[in-house]
Amino acid sequence: MPNIIEMKNVCKSFGETEVLHNIDFHIAEGEVVVIIGPSGSGKSTLIRCINCLEMITKGELIVDGIRIPDELTRMRQIRLEVGMVFQQFNLFPHMTALENVAFGPRKARGMRRGKAEKIALELLDKVGLSEFSDKLPGNLSGGQQQRVAIARALAVNPKVMLFDEPTSALDPEMIGEVLDVMKSIAKDSGMTMAVVTHEMGFASQVGDRLIFMDEGRIVEEGKPGEVMKKPGSDRLRDFLSHVKHH
Amino acid sequence: MGFEFSVIVESLPPLLQGAKLTWYITLSGIAGGMVIGILAGLGRIAGTGHLGDAPHGAFLPLSVFTRYLAAGFVEGIRGTPIIVQAMFLYFAFPMLVKALTNIEQFRMEALTAAVITIMINAGAYIAEIVRGSVVSVHKGLVEAGLSLGISRFQLITYVIGPIAIRRMIPPLGNQFIISLKDTSLFIVIGVGELTRQGQEIMASNFRAMEIWLTVAVMYLIMTTALATALRTCEKRMKIF
Repeated sequence: MPNIIEMKNVCKSFGETEVLHNIDFHIAEGEVVVIIGPSGSGKSTLIRCINCLEMITKGELIVDGIRIPDELTRMRQIRLEVGMVFQQFNLFPHMTALENVAFGPRKARGMRRGKAEKIALELLDKVGLSEFSDKLPGNLSGGQQQRVAIARALAVNPKVMLFDEPTSALDPEMIGEVLDVMKSIAKDSGMTMAVVTHEMGFASQVGDRLIFMDEGRIVEEGKPGEVMKKPGSDRLRDFLSHVKHH
Repeated sequence: MGFEFSVIVESLPPLLQGAKLTWYITLSGIAGGMVIGILAGLGRIAGTGHLGDAPHGAFLPLSVFTRYLAAGFVEGIRGTPIIVQAMFLYFAFPMLVKALTNIEQFRMEALTAAVITIMINAGAYIAEIVRGSVVSVHKGLVEAGLSLGISRFQLITYVIGPIAIRRMIPPLGNQFIISLKDTSLFIVIGVGELTRQGQEIMASNFRAMEIWLTVAVMYLIMTTALATALRTCEKRMKIF
């Protein structure tokens, strides 16, 4: 499968501090890549660079054939092809669940309202929330909000989905429902996904490849089962023991 | 000299004339102030990412310039008394124009000066209200909008705007009422607004009690009308 995302020698600095050092990274079409690592290791920054929420400071990023920084003016095209789900859901508080999901198709894809809402309803149904379509985000639980947020990102019909710690802000009993939705997206629709998470069960069941980051570098990568069973570095071994015990 | 109700009745027509002028200055001043305020308020946060415009380098110098320009305007206006601004605009500004250009017959009408003063003065305060409300919109919502691939114009129109406007209403109500009461200061440049009308009637009949009570009640009616209009606005918007 060809690579839909490629990073060549990418660095990212915030002011004086460099948080990503010479990253070489790619995701093939249909691949599910799980990124783990201690806090501050740069894993969120890495996936935020993919849809240009953070601009890379050095190197090259290629998303679906669009080159950054050479083709900065096509940044919006990248964002249309790359959906994102955030740790804090970030649903638009003044729109109902249905309006949130229909917003992307209507405004970003220029679809008519009726058609956009039909798509939105189908997606809400897919994430098991069709009966909540007229609820405002404030009246939904965290797990429900995150499932709406996933539907919202899918509604634009992206080729890649990025998940930035999608279950970290959830109460334990709600993590499962969100992970189940993510699993079905990966398995049923063969979506290309990059997932930053601490859910090791999800990583081994759904992930095609596991990437361990530390201090702004990719330290290890490979098949999730193998990497988790036989970590090649002390840092990963140490990290895994911490994750498992919580 | 007791309280004479007939004095109030007699002075009502000129007072109402004054109230009409006060209302006119306030509404046109606020309308212009909103335009100036929105431009200056957004200008103060240009390139900071709050409007989905994370600085990627290309327009950085322009946005820095815009920020300084808007900040200079706000500080300059906020930092000087409105009465001095009105005097400057009415007395000094025409002289300045004459000195700098060849327009000999340049005149500034008192009413024009009054309206412009309110526009500029309210504009500076409204700029801060606009800035505060926009900055208070959670950055995650801006990122969520951007990540869907919408344009910055759409982001501002459909996401940042609607959320920020709800938060602007209470402080805007404050500013509108302050601006209305500030029109009473234009007595110094001879605009026949409510306070000046009251002053003139009082100077001829010396009925301070009746006149100032009536003037006060008239201001109260106008400020209440403004406050009610804004409250209705607030209620009409969805609560979330």
